[in-house]
Amino acid sequence: MTRPKLRKKIILLSITVIIEIVALIFFWNALKKTDVTNGQASPALGTSGGLPNLLGDLNLILPISFLVILLGIACAFYVEEWLSATNWVRRFIESQVAFLTGIPSLLYGLLAVAVFFGYAGVFKATLQNAEGSALAGTPFQRNTALFYTETLIFILTVMPVAIKTTQTALRSVETPIRESAYALGATQWQVLTKQVVPRAFPRMLAGGCRAMARAFAAAALLVGIYAWSHTMELRGFPDRFMLFLGGALLLSNASSFLTEIYVPASTQHN
Amino acid sequence: MTTPMQTNSDNGSQNTPVIEISDLKVRYGDSPALNGISFDVYQNEILGIIGPAQSGKTTLLKVINRTLELTPDTTVEGSVKLDGVDIRTIGDVYGLRRRIGMVLPLPVGLPLSIYDNVAFAPRTAGIRAKSELDEIVERCLQQAALWDEVKDRLDSLGTKLSGGQQQRLTIARALSHQPEILCLDEFSIAVDPVTTMRIEEVLKTLQTEMTILLVTNLVQQAKRLANRTAFFLNGDLIEIDTTDVIFSENPSNQATYDYVNGTFG
Repeated sequence: MTRPKLRKKIILLSITVIIEIVALIFFWNALKKTDVTNGQASPALGTSGGLPNLLGDLNLILPISFLVILLGIACAFYVEEWLSATNWVRRFIESQVAFLTGIPSLLYGLLAVAVFFGYAGVFKATLQNAEGSALAGTPFQRNTALFYTETLIFILTVMPVAIKTTQTALRSVETPIRESAYALGATQWQVLTKQVVPRAFPRMLAGGCRAMARAFAAAALLVGIYAWSHTMELRGFPDRFMLFLGGALLLSNASSFLTEIYVPASTQHN
Repeated sequence: MTTPMQTNSDNGSQNTPVIEISDLKVRYGDSPALNGISFDVYQNEILGIIGPAQSGKTTLLKVINRTLELTPDTTVEGSVKLDGVDIRTIGDVYGLRRRIGMVLPLPVGLPLSIYDNVAFAPRTAGIRAKSELDEIVERCLQQAALWDEVKDRLDSLGTKLSGGQQQRLTIARALSHQPEILCLDEFSIAVDPVTTMRIEEVLKTLQTEMTILLVTNLVQQAKRLANRTAFFLNGDLIEIDTTDVIFSENPSNQATYDYVNGTFG
Protein backbone atom coordinates (compact mmCIF):
# COMPACT_ATOMS: atom_id res chain seq x y z
CA MET A 1 0.00 0.00 0.00
CA THR A 2 1.43 3.31 -0.98
CA ARG A 3 0.80 6.56 0.81
CA PRO A 4 -1.01 8.50 -1.97
CA LYS A 5 -3.43 5.61 -2.39
CA LEU A 6 -4.16 5.63 1.35
CA ARG A 7 -4.69 9.38 1.30
CA LYS A 8 -7.10 9.08 -1.62
CA LYS A 9 -9.08 6.42 0.19
CA ILE A 10 -9.30 8.49 3.34
CA ILE A 11 -10.44 11.56 1.38
CA LEU A 12 -13.14 9.49 -0.34
CA LEU A 13 -14.27 8.09 3.00
CA SER A 14 -14.40 11.58 4.50
CA ILE A 15 -16.59 12.80 1.63
CA THR A 16 -18.89 9.82 2.20
CA VAL A 17 -19.13 10.67 5.88
CA ILE A 18 -19.98 14.31 5.17
CA ILE A 19 -22.68 13.31 2.69
CA GLU A 20 -24.05 10.87 5.24
CA ILE A 21 -24.21 13.48 7.99
CA VAL A 22 -26.01 15.97 5.74
CA ALA A 23 -28.48 13.27 4.63
CA LEU A 24 -29.04 12.24 8.23
CA ILE A 25 -29.82 15.82 9.30
CA PHE A 26 -32.37 16.20 6.49
CA PHE A 27 -33.91 12.88 7.35
CA TRP A 28 -34.04 13.80 11.02
CA ASN A 29 -35.90 17.04 10.30
CA ALA A 30 -38.35 15.29 8.02
CA LEU A 31 -38.94 12.63 10.64
CA LYS A 32 -39.62 15.21 13.33
CA LYS A 33 -42.32 16.84 11.24
CA THR A 34 -44.13 13.61 10.59
CA ASP A 35 -43.71 12.19 14.08
CA VAL A 36 -47.06 10.85 15.11
CA THR A 37 -45.82 9.01 18.14
CA ASN A 38 -44.43 11.90 20.16
CA GLY A 39 -47.08 11.66 22.77
CA GLN A 40 -47.02 9.71 25.99
CA ALA A 41 -44.21 9.23 28.44
CA SER A 42 -41.44 6.96 27.36
CA PRO A 43 -42.05 3.44 28.59
CA ALA A 44 -38.39 2.60 28.52
CA LEU A 45 -36.17 5.42 29.49
CA GLY A 46 -35.96 9.11 30.12
CA THR A 47 -38.49 11.41 31.62
CA SER A 48 -38.84 14.38 29.35
CA GLY A 49 -37.38 16.07 26.33
CA GLY A 50 -35.18 14.77 23.56
CA LEU A 51 -31.81 15.11 25.23
CA PRO A 52 -32.55 13.14 28.42
CA ASN A 53 -33.97 10.37 26.23
CA LEU A 54 -30.81 10.18 24.21
CA LEU A 55 -28.59 10.41 27.24
CA GLY A 56 -30.64 7.72 28.92
CA ASP A 57 -30.21 5.43 25.91
CA LEU A 58 -26.50 6.08 25.67
CA ASN A 59 -26.07 5.77 29.40
CA LEU A 60 -27.43 2.27 29.18
CA ILE A 61 -25.77 1.18 25.96
CA LEU A 62 -22.25 2.58 26.24
CA PRO A 63 -21.11 1.10 29.58
CA ILE A 64 -22.56 -2.31 28.78
CA SER A 65 -21.13 -2.39 25.28
CA PHE A 66 -17.76 -1.29 26.61
CA LEU A 67 -17.72 -4.14 29.10
CA VAL A 68 -18.99 -6.69 26.62
CA ILE A 69 -16.47 -5.66 23.93
CA LEU A 70 -13.68 -5.81 26.49
CA LEU A 71 -14.81 -9.28 27.49
CA GLY A 72 -14.90 -10.28 23.81
CA ILE A 73 -11.37 -8.98 23.24
CA ALA A 74 -10.10 -10.83 26.30
CA CYS A 75 -11.80 -13.99 25.07
CA ALA A 76 -10.26 -13.59 21.59
CA PHE A 77 -6.79 -13.14 23.09
CA TYR A 78 -7.17 -16.26 25.17
CA VAL A 79 -8.45 -18.34 22.26
CA GLU A 80 -5.97 -17.06 19.69
CA GLU A 81 -2.81 -16.82 21.76
CA TRP A 82 -3.11 -19.47 24.43
CA LEU A 83 -5.19 -22.29 22.96
CA SER A 84 -3.91 -24.52 20.19
CA ALA A 85 -5.94 -24.80 16.99
CA THR A 86 -7.00 -28.31 17.91
CA ASN A 87 -8.16 -27.46 21.44
CA TRP A 88 -11.83 -28.36 21.83
CA VAL A 89 -12.65 -25.21 23.84
CA ARG A 90 -11.26 -23.13 20.97
CA ARG A 91 -13.16 -25.16 18.41
CA PHE A 92 -16.37 -24.76 20.40
CA ILE A 93 -15.97 -21.00 20.82
CA GLU A 94 -15.04 -20.51 17.17
CA SER A 95 -17.99 -22.52 15.90
CA GLN A 96 -20.37 -20.61 18.18
CA VAL A 97 -18.87 -17.27 17.10
CA ALA A 98 -19.27 -18.25 13.44
CA PHE A 99 -22.88 -19.18 14.10
CA LEU A 100 -23.75 -16.07 16.10
CA THR A 101 -22.08 -13.60 13.74
CA GLY A 102 -24.02 -15.11 10.86
CA ILE A 103 -27.36 -14.11 12.34
CA PRO A 104 -28.71 -10.65 11.40
CA SER A 105 -28.59 -8.42 14.44
CA LEU A 106 -32.24 -7.47 14.12
CA LEU A 107 -33.19 -10.99 15.10
CA TYR A 108 -31.43 -10.51 18.41
CA GLY A 109 -33.39 -7.33 19.00
CA LEU A 110 -36.62 -9.16 18.37
CA LEU A 111 -35.40 -11.96 20.61
CA ALA A 112 -34.83 -9.40 23.33
CA VAL A 113 -38.37 -8.16 23.10
CA ALA A 114 -39.99 -11.51 22.63
CA VAL A 115 -38.09 -13.72 25.01
CA PHE A 116 -36.38 -11.69 27.65
CA PHE A 117 -39.08 -9.09 28.20
CA GLY A 118 -42.07 -11.24 27.54
CA TYR A 119 -41.54 -14.71 28.84
CA ALA A 120 -38.17 -15.29 30.44
CA GLY A 121 -38.53 -16.60 33.93
CA VAL A 122 -35.52 -14.64 35.10
CA PHE A 123 -37.39 -11.42 34.72
CA LYS A 124 -40.76 -12.54 35.88
CA ALA A 125 -39.93 -11.59 39.44
CA THR A 126 -38.60 -8.21 38.48
CA LEU A 127 -41.53 -7.54 36.25
CA GLN A 128 -44.22 -9.00 38.43
CA ASN A 129 -46.05 -5.70 38.46
CA ALA A 130 -46.39 -5.89 34.74
CA GLU A 131 -49.88 -5.24 33.67
CA GLY A 132 -50.49 -4.45 30.08
CA SER A 133 -46.91 -3.38 29.54
CA ALA A 134 -43.89 -5.54 29.99
CA LEU A 135 -42.11 -2.52 31.29
CA ALA A 136 -44.39 -1.62 34.13
CA GLY A 137 -43.10 -1.60 37.69
CA THR A 138 -40.98 0.83 39.65
CA PRO A 139 -38.20 2.69 37.84
CA PHE A 140 -35.66 0.59 39.70
CA GLN A 141 -37.26 -2.65 38.56
CA ARG A 142 -37.53 -1.37 35.02
CA ASN A 143 -33.91 -0.34 34.94
CA THR A 144 -32.66 -3.59 36.39
CA ALA A 145 -34.65 -5.61 33.88
CA LEU A 146 -33.41 -3.41 31.06
CA PHE A 147 -29.84 -3.70 32.23
CA TYR A 148 -29.89 -7.49 32.28
CA THR A 149 -31.75 -7.76 29.01
CA GLU A 150 -29.42 -5.33 27.32
CA THR A 151 -26.36 -7.17 28.67
CA LEU A 152 -27.63 -10.55 27.47
CA ILE A 153 -28.50 -9.21 24.05
CA PHE A 154 -25.14 -7.50 23.78
CA ILE A 155 -23.36 -10.69 24.72
CA LEU A 156 -25.19 -12.39 21.86
CA THR A 157 -24.90 -9.55 19.32
CA VAL A 158 -21.75 -7.63 20.04
CA MET A 159 -19.43 -10.13 21.67
CA PRO A 160 -19.17 -12.61 18.77
CA VAL A 161 -18.29 -9.75 16.42
CA ALA A 162 -15.75 -8.42 18.90
CA ILE A 163 -14.20 -11.89 19.25
CA LYS A 164 -14.13 -12.49 15.51
CA THR A 165 -12.61 -9.12 14.60
CA THR A 166 -10.03 -9.27 17.38
CA GLN A 167 -8.98 -12.74 16.25
CA THR A 168 -8.66 -11.50 12.67
CA ALA A 169 -6.66 -8.52 13.88
CA LEU A 170 -4.30 -10.74 15.86
CA ARG A 171 -3.86 -13.06 12.90
CA SER A 172 -3.12 -10.11 10.63
CA VAL A 173 0.15 -9.53 12.45
CA GLU A 174 2.68 -11.25 10.23
CA THR A 175 4.22 -14.45 11.58
CA PRO A 176 7.79 -13.25 10.85
CA ILE A 177 7.26 -10.36 13.28
CA ARG A 178 6.36 -12.79 16.03
CA GLU A 179 9.16 -15.15 15.04
CA SER A 180 11.70 -12.32 15.02
CA ALA A 181 10.63 -11.14 18.44
CA TYR A 182 10.71 -14.66 19.87
CA ALA A 183 14.12 -15.25 18.29
CA LEU A 184 15.37 -12.17 20.14
CA GLY A 185 14.50 -13.82 23.43
CA ALA A 186 11.19 -12.06 24.09
CA THR A 187 8.60 -13.81 26.25
CA GLN A 188 5.08 -14.42 24.99
CA TRP A 189 3.85 -11.49 27.04
CA GLN A 190 6.54 -9.19 25.64
CA VAL A 191 5.77 -10.32 22.08
CA LEU A 192 2.09 -9.59 22.65
CA THR A 193 2.43 -6.24 24.37
CA LYS A 194 5.38 -4.86 22.41
CA GLN A 195 4.75 -6.22 18.93
CA VAL A 196 1.38 -7.79 18.34
CA VAL A 197 -1.01 -5.44 20.11
CA PRO A 198 0.50 -2.19 18.77
CA ARG A 199 0.19 -3.57 15.23
CA ALA A 200 -3.23 -5.11 15.71
CA PHE A 201 -4.67 -2.16 17.64
CA PRO A 202 -6.20 -0.15 14.75
CA ARG A 203 -7.91 -3.29 13.52
CA MET A 204 -9.07 -4.22 16.99
CA LEU A 205 -10.54 -0.73 17.36
CA ALA A 206 -12.15 -1.11 13.94
CA GLY A 207 -13.62 -4.40 15.12
CA GLY A 208 -14.99 -2.74 18.26
CA CYS A 209 -16.61 -0.06 16.10
CA ARG A 210 -18.11 -2.71 13.85
CA ALA A 211 -19.49 -4.57 16.82
CA MET A 212 -21.01 -1.36 18.18
CA ALA A 213 -22.40 -0.47 14.77
CA ARG A 214 -24.15 -3.83 14.73
CA ALA A 215 -25.78 -3.10 18.08
CA PHE A 216 -26.77 0.42 17.04
CA ALA A 217 -28.28 -0.85 13.80
CA ALA A 218 -30.34 -3.39 15.71
CA ALA A 219 -31.48 -0.70 18.13
CA ALA A 220 -32.44 1.66 15.29
CA LEU A 221 -34.53 -1.02 13.66
CA LEU A 222 -36.19 -1.91 16.92
CA VAL A 223 -36.98 1.68 17.78
CA GLY A 224 -38.39 2.10 14.28
CA ILE A 225 -40.57 -0.98 14.47
CA TYR A 226 -41.57 -0.15 18.02
CA ALA A 227 -42.74 3.32 17.13
CA TRP A 228 -44.26 2.73 13.75
CA SER A 229 -46.24 -0.26 14.83
CA HIS A 230 -48.02 1.99 17.38
CA THR A 231 -48.23 -0.77 19.93
CA MET A 232 -46.61 1.58 22.39
CA GLU A 233 -45.90 5.25 22.42
CA LEU A 234 -42.27 6.21 22.43
CA ARG A 235 -41.21 9.66 23.44
CA GLY A 236 -38.51 11.33 21.40
CA PHE A 237 -38.76 8.74 18.67
CA PRO A 238 -37.11 10.75 15.86
CA ASP A 239 -34.14 11.66 18.03
CA ARG A 240 -33.61 8.13 19.22
CA PHE A 241 -34.08 6.60 15.82
CA MET A 242 -31.58 9.02 14.33
CA LEU A 243 -29.14 8.46 17.18
CA PHE A 244 -29.01 4.74 16.48
CA LEU A 245 -29.15 5.00 12.71
CA GLY A 246 -26.51 7.73 12.60
CA GLY A 247 -24.45 5.94 15.21
CA ALA A 248 -24.49 2.70 13.22
CA LEU A 249 -23.48 4.48 10.01
CA LEU A 250 -20.73 6.55 11.57
CA LEU A 251 -19.31 3.62 13.51
CA SER A 252 -19.15 1.62 10.28
CA ASN A 253 -17.28 4.51 8.71
CA ALA A 254 -14.92 4.70 11.66
CA SER A 255 -14.31 0.99 11.24
CA SER A 256 -13.40 1.48 7.57
CA PHE A 257 -11.11 4.39 8.48
CA LEU A 258 -9.23 2.32 11.03
CA THR A 259 -8.87 -0.60 8.65
CA GLU A 260 -7.38 1.71 6.03
CA ILE A 261 -4.86 3.16 8.45
CA TYR A 262 -3.29 -0.24 8.91
CA VAL A 263 -0.06 -0.57 6.95
CA PRO A 264 1.57 -4.01 6.81
CA ALA A 265 5.06 -4.22 8.29
CA SER A 266 6.43 -5.88 5.19
CA THR A 267 5.84 -2.68 3.25
CA GLN A 268 9.16 -1.58 1.97
CA HIS A 269 9.99 1.79 0.58
CA ASN A 270 12.74 0.96 -1.82
CA MET B 1 20.64 -42.28 3.55
CA THR B 2 24.28 -41.83 2.88
CA THR B 3 26.54 -41.65 5.89
CA PRO B 4 27.99 -38.18 5.89
CA MET B 5 31.69 -37.88 6.02
CA GLN B 6 32.79 -35.98 9.08
CA THR B 7 35.98 -34.01 9.08
CA ASN B 8 37.36 -31.36 11.33
CA SER B 9 37.65 -27.97 9.83
CA ASP B 10 41.06 -26.76 8.96
CA ASN B 11 40.34 -23.07 9.36
CA GLY B 12 41.23 -22.31 12.93
CA SER B 13 38.41 -24.38 14.40
CA GLN B 14 40.41 -27.19 15.85
CA ASN B 15 38.78 -26.62 19.24
CA THR B 16 35.82 -28.39 20.81
CA PRO B 17 32.43 -28.29 19.11
CA VAL B 18 29.95 -25.55 20.09
CA ILE B 19 26.93 -27.40 18.76
CA GLU B 20 26.70 -31.18 18.69
CA ILE B 21 23.78 -32.57 16.76
CA SER B 22 23.17 -36.29 16.96
CA ASP B 23 20.47 -38.30 15.21
CA LEU B 24 18.13 -35.32 14.94
CA LYS B 25 14.71 -36.22 13.56
CA VAL B 26 11.95 -33.67 13.04
CA ARG B 27 8.44 -34.26 11.79
CA TYR B 28 5.67 -31.77 11.01
CA GLY B 29 2.59 -33.84 11.74
CA ASP B 30 3.22 -36.93 9.65
CA SER B 31 5.62 -35.47 7.14
CA PRO B 32 9.30 -35.77 8.01
CA ALA B 33 11.52 -32.70 7.74
CA LEU B 34 14.82 -34.05 9.07
CA ASN B 35 15.64 -37.77 9.00
CA GLY B 36 18.25 -38.34 11.67
CA ILE B 37 21.15 -36.00 10.99
CA SER B 38 24.38 -35.83 13.00
CA PHE B 39 27.20 -33.31 12.82
CA ASP B 40 29.15 -30.84 14.95
CA VAL B 41 29.68 -27.12 14.57
CA TYR B 42 33.01 -25.73 15.77
CA GLN B 43 33.92 -22.50 17.49
CA ASN B 44 34.42 -19.47 15.23
CA GLU B 45 33.74 -21.26 11.99
CA ILE B 46 31.31 -20.29 9.28
CA LEU B 47 29.33 -23.39 8.43
CA GLY B 48 27.54 -23.07 5.12
CA ILE B 49 24.35 -25.11 4.80
CA ILE B 50 23.20 -25.60 1.23
CA GLY B 51 20.46 -27.63 -0.37
CA PRO B 52 17.27 -27.15 -2.38
CA ALA B 53 13.92 -26.14 -0.84
CA GLN B 54 12.25 -28.60 1.54
CA SER B 55 15.56 -30.07 2.59
CA GLY B 56 15.22 -29.09 6.25
CA LYS B 57 17.71 -26.22 6.45
CA THR B 58 15.40 -23.69 8.11
CA THR B 59 13.95 -26.40 10.36
CA LEU B 60 17.46 -27.12 11.63
CA LEU B 61 17.95 -23.46 12.63
CA LYS B 62 14.55 -23.41 14.31
CA VAL B 63 15.46 -26.49 16.32
CA ILE B 64 18.67 -24.86 17.49
CA ASN B 65 17.00 -21.71 18.87
CA ARG B 66 13.90 -23.67 19.90
CA THR B 67 11.47 -21.49 17.94
CA LEU B 68 10.21 -24.69 16.33
CA GLU B 69 8.30 -25.21 19.58
CA LEU B 70 6.03 -22.36 18.49
CA THR B 71 4.86 -24.38 15.49
CA PRO B 72 2.08 -26.72 16.54
CA ASP B 73 2.18 -30.45 15.88
CA THR B 74 5.94 -30.91 15.51
CA THR B 75 7.97 -33.82 16.86
CA VAL B 76 11.67 -33.57 17.61
CA GLU B 77 13.84 -36.61 18.41
CA GLY B 78 17.56 -36.94 18.94
CA SER B 79 19.69 -34.35 20.67
CA VAL B 80 21.15 -30.93 20.03
CA LYS B 81 23.81 -29.89 22.51
CA LEU B 82 25.00 -26.36 22.98
CA ASP B 83 28.33 -26.25 24.82
CA GLY B 84 27.69 -29.81 25.95
CA VAL B 85 24.19 -29.15 27.34
CA ASP B 86 21.10 -30.57 25.63
CA ILE B 87 19.09 -27.51 24.61
CA ARG B 88 15.82 -29.20 25.51
CA THR B 89 16.89 -29.43 29.14
CA ILE B 90 17.57 -25.70 29.31
CA GLY B 91 14.83 -24.18 31.47
CA ASP B 92 15.31 -20.56 30.42
CA VAL B 93 14.35 -20.80 26.75
CA TYR B 94 14.44 -17.00 26.40
CA GLY B 95 18.00 -16.95 27.68
CA LEU B 96 18.88 -19.69 25.19
CA ARG B 97 17.42 -17.66 22.33
CA ARG B 98 19.48 -14.68 23.38
CA ARG B 99 22.60 -16.79 22.99
CA ILE B 100 21.67 -17.40 19.36
CA GLY B 101 21.20 -14.58 16.87
CA MET B 102 18.76 -15.28 14.06
CA VAL B 103 18.43 -13.47 10.75
CA LEU B 104 15.37 -14.46 8.72
CA PRO B 105 15.12 -14.66 4.89
CA LEU B 106 13.08 -11.50 4.43
CA PRO B 107 14.13 -8.45 6.38
CA VAL B 108 11.57 -8.09 9.13
CA GLY B 109 11.91 -4.64 10.55
CA LEU B 110 9.92 -4.68 13.74
CA PRO B 111 7.43 -1.84 13.49
CA LEU B 112 9.57 0.34 15.71
CA SER B 113 12.20 3.03 15.26
CA ILE B 114 15.70 2.00 14.16
CA TYR B 115 16.94 2.59 17.69
CA ASP B 116 14.13 0.58 19.28
CA ASN B 117 14.65 -2.28 16.82
CA VAL B 118 18.19 -2.75 18.00
CA ALA B 119 17.36 -2.01 21.63
CA PHE B 120 14.46 -4.48 21.66
CA ALA B 121 16.40 -7.56 22.76
CA PRO B 122 18.51 -5.78 25.41
CA ARG B 123 15.33 -4.25 26.80
CA THR B 124 13.56 -7.60 26.99
CA ALA B 125 16.63 -8.86 28.81
CA GLY B 126 16.11 -6.11 31.37
CA ILE B 127 18.64 -3.45 30.33
CA ARG B 128 17.07 -0.05 31.00
CA ALA B 129 19.95 2.44 31.27
CA LYS B 130 19.91 4.83 28.32
CA SER B 131 23.69 5.14 28.14
CA GLU B 132 24.11 1.38 28.02
CA LEU B 133 21.44 1.04 25.32
CA ASP B 134 23.03 3.87 23.30
CA GLU B 135 26.32 2.04 23.43
CA ILE B 136 24.76 -1.28 22.33
CA VAL B 137 22.84 0.35 19.48
CA GLU B 138 25.92 2.12 18.16
CA ARG B 139 28.12 -0.97 18.44
CA CYS B 140 25.64 -3.25 16.68
CA LEU B 141 24.83 -0.82 13.92
CA GLN B 142 28.53 -0.34 13.31
CA GLN B 143 29.12 -4.09 13.28
CA ALA B 144 26.34 -4.44 10.72
CA ALA B 145 27.85 -1.64 8.58
CA LEU B 146 24.72 0.47 8.92
CA TRP B 147 25.74 3.11 11.47
CA ASP B 148 27.00 5.73 9.01
CA GLU B 149 23.81 5.57 6.97
CA VAL B 150 21.35 5.86 9.84
CA LYS B 151 23.13 7.60 12.71
CA ASP B 152 21.26 10.87 12.04
CA ARG B 153 17.82 9.29 11.93
CA LEU B 154 17.74 6.66 14.63
CA ASP B 155 14.22 7.74 15.55
CA SER B 156 12.68 7.07 12.13
CA LEU B 157 10.82 3.84 11.47
CA GLY B 158 12.96 0.78 10.81
CA THR B 159 10.45 -0.44 8.27
CA LYS B 160 11.08 2.63 6.11
CA LEU B 161 14.66 1.70 5.34
CA SER B 162 15.51 0.12 2.01
CA GLY B 163 15.51 -3.68 1.74
CA GLY B 164 19.28 -3.96 2.06
CA GLN B 165 19.39 -1.55 4.98
CA GLN B 166 16.57 -3.43 6.70
CA GLN B 167 18.45 -6.68 6.37
CA ARG B 168 21.53 -5.08 7.92
CA LEU B 169 19.23 -3.76 10.64
CA THR B 170 18.05 -7.29 11.35
CA ILE B 171 21.69 -8.37 11.57
CA ALA B 172 22.37 -5.50 13.99
CA ARG B 173 19.34 -6.61 15.98
CA ALA B 174 20.54 -10.21 16.04
CA LEU B 175 23.90 -8.98 17.34
CA SER B 176 22.34 -6.80 20.03
CA HIS B 177 22.14 -9.59 22.57
CA GLN B 178 25.76 -10.58 21.96
CA PRO B 179 25.04 -14.08 20.68
CA GLU B 180 27.58 -16.86 20.69
CA ILE B 181 26.08 -18.24 17.51
CA LEU B 182 24.69 -16.31 14.57
CA CYS B 183 22.22 -18.11 12.30
CA LEU B 184 21.51 -16.56 8.94
CA ASP B 185 18.64 -18.01 6.95
CA GLU B 186 19.02 -17.07 3.29
CA PHE B 187 19.70 -13.48 4.28
CA SER B 188 20.47 -12.32 0.76
CA ILE B 189 17.10 -13.20 -0.82
CA ALA B 190 15.81 -9.62 -0.66
CA VAL B 191 19.15 -7.87 -0.94
CA ASP B 192 20.97 -6.60 -4.02
CA PRO B 193 24.40 -8.09 -4.89
CA VAL B 194 26.39 -5.05 -3.76
CA THR B 195 24.75 -5.01 -0.33
CA THR B 196 25.17 -8.79 -0.15
CA MET B 197 28.90 -8.31 -0.62
CA ARG B 198 28.95 -5.71 2.15
CA ILE B 199 27.12 -8.04 4.51
CA GLU B 200 29.47 -10.87 3.59
CA GLU B 201 32.39 -8.66 4.57
CA VAL B 202 30.64 -7.97 7.87
CA LEU B 203 30.23 -11.71 8.45
CA LYS B 204 33.92 -12.38 7.84
CA THR B 205 34.73 -9.82 10.52
CA LEU B 206 32.16 -11.25 12.93
CA GLN B 207 33.62 -14.72 12.54
CA THR B 208 36.40 -13.79 14.95
CA GLU B 209 33.82 -13.22 17.68
CA MET B 210 31.20 -15.88 17.07
CA THR B 211 30.24 -19.06 15.27
CA ILE B 212 28.12 -18.52 12.18
CA LEU B 213 25.60 -20.88 10.60
CA LEU B 214 24.86 -19.70 7.10
CA VAL B 215 21.90 -21.27 5.35
CA THR B 216 21.97 -20.21 1.75
CA ASN B 217 20.45 -20.96 -1.62
CA LEU B 218 23.40 -19.40 -3.34
CA VAL B 219 26.02 -22.11 -3.49
CA GLN B 220 28.64 -19.57 -4.52
CA GLN B 221 27.97 -17.65 -1.33
CA ALA B 222 28.82 -20.74 0.70
CA LYS B 223 31.94 -21.15 -1.41
CA ARG B 224 32.96 -17.53 -0.74
CA LEU B 225 32.30 -17.51 2.98
CA ALA B 226 32.13 -20.91 4.60
CA ASN B 227 34.98 -22.83 6.19
CA ARG B 228 32.93 -25.99 5.98
CA THR B 229 29.79 -26.71 4.00
CA ALA B 230 26.96 -29.13 4.66
CA PHE B 231 24.72 -30.34 1.84
CA PHE B 232 21.13 -31.20 2.78
CA LEU B 233 18.67 -32.99 0.53
CA ASN B 234 15.10 -33.99 1.44
CA GLY B 235 15.83 -33.94 5.15
CA ASP B 236 19.06 -35.91 4.91
CA LEU B 237 22.55 -34.63 5.49
CA ILE B 238 24.23 -35.88 2.35
CA GLU B 239 27.68 -34.58 3.04
CA ILE B 240 29.59 -32.24 5.33
CA ASP B 241 33.17 -31.33 4.66
CA THR B 242 35.52 -28.43 4.17
CA THR B 243 34.24 -26.04 1.54
CA ASP B 244 37.25 -26.79 -0.64
CA VAL B 245 36.32 -30.48 -0.77
CA ILE B 246 32.60 -29.87 -1.34
CA PHE B 247 33.33 -27.57 -4.25
CA SER B 248 36.14 -29.69 -5.65
CA GLU B 249 35.86 -32.07 -8.57
CA ASN B 250 35.51 -35.06 -6.27
CA PRO B 251 33.30 -34.64 -3.21
CA SER B 252 32.42 -37.97 -1.65
CA ASN B 253 28.86 -37.95 -2.93
CA GLN B 254 27.77 -37.57 -6.54
CA ALA B 255 24.61 -35.68 -5.53
CA THR B 256 26.77 -33.00 -3.90
CA TYR B 257 28.80 -32.59 -7.07
CA ASP B 258 25.64 -32.37 -9.16
CA TYR B 259 24.05 -29.81 -6.85
CA VAL B 260 26.99 -27.44 -6.53
CA ASN B 261 27.61 -27.63 -10.25
CA GLY B 262 24.02 -26.85 -11.09
CA THR B 263 23.05 -30.20 -12.57
CA PHE B 264 19.97 -30.09 -10.38
CA GLY B 265 18.44 -27.85 -7.70
